[in-house]
Amino acid sequence: MQSEIERKAQEEASSILESARAEAERIVAEADAKAANLRDERTKALRGKIDAQEKAELAVARMDRKGNLLRVKSVWTNRVFEEVEKRVTKMAENGGREYNELLANLILEGISKMNGSKFIVETSPRDKEAVSNLLGIITERASKLKNDKVTLRPETLQTRTLGGAVVSTEDKVQYFNNTLEARLAAASQKLEGTIRQILFGPSDANE
Amino acid sequence: MSTDIKELQDLIAREKNAEEEVRKAKEEAQAILKQARGKAEVALGAIESDPAWENLKHARNDEIARKKIEIQEEYKRKSSSLEKVAQQNLEKAIARLFEETLRGKL
Repeated sequence: MQSEIERKAQEEASSILESARAEAERIVAEADAKAANLRDERTKALRGKIDAQEKAELAVARMDRKGNLLRVKSVWTNRVFEEVEKRVTKMAENGGREYNELLANLILEGISKMNGSKFIVETSPRDKEAVSNLLGIITERASKLKNDKVTLRPETLQTRTLGGAVVSTEDKVQYFNNTLEARLAAASQKLEGTIRQILFGPSDANE
Repeated sequence: MSTDIKELQDLIAREKNAEEEVRKAKEEAQAILKQARGKAEVALGAIESDPAWENLKHARNDEIARKKIEIQEEYKRKSSSLEKVAQQNLEKAIARLFEETLRGKL
């Protein structure tokens, strides 16, 4: 009877401790598994966040650098425009046969673009004498071009110009701006892509 | 009669001992569980303070900084090559625009 009490008590105590140890093992194993899962999730989330940050920061860095390249291209393209303007101005200022021929052609081009036979030719005060000298030839060529008797009235342009002429019909309804700056602006606009390709190579269009 | 009482007292004492043994086992069990919960808490808490996160962040930030420098160098080379090509072709471009500016269309 006495040993039975002790045996049962020992059994109960052992059972209690065994259960507690098993429960403790389960708690720790569960916590370890949960911690491992959390660690994986966090790692994934952190990697995702840093990947996105990397993508954004590198995209900004590339955009920034591409912007710099565009600025370099723009500087060189403008250099071409400026240099052409300088050379055109110099040519007009020097006058001479080459410029007079150009002036005559610019006036004739203006005339050819409009209807009618009576025109006003406006040029800078500097070109007034040249136009007077060329008037006969221009009138003759214009008459041939129009197949009609053309009359031209030279006038001084009120605004400042590098050279060239503004040609208008006598009633001033139609006009054709063939000043050098107008031509340079039109040519620059028309050839901007070509100029960039000449400057930077054909691959420029793809960048 | 006195022998019976002694036996009864003995029995009571043994029962008390047995109860004490069970009580101690229960206490020990509680301690084991408490220790396990503590370990679990430490395991979960360690995630928050794991230096691996900071190490990962540092490593990746260093990598991003290195890639940015690479981009900078790449575009520096591109820019320099662009300047060189543009310088070589400048006269050609000027001549083309000059010609177009002065070209009349009758």
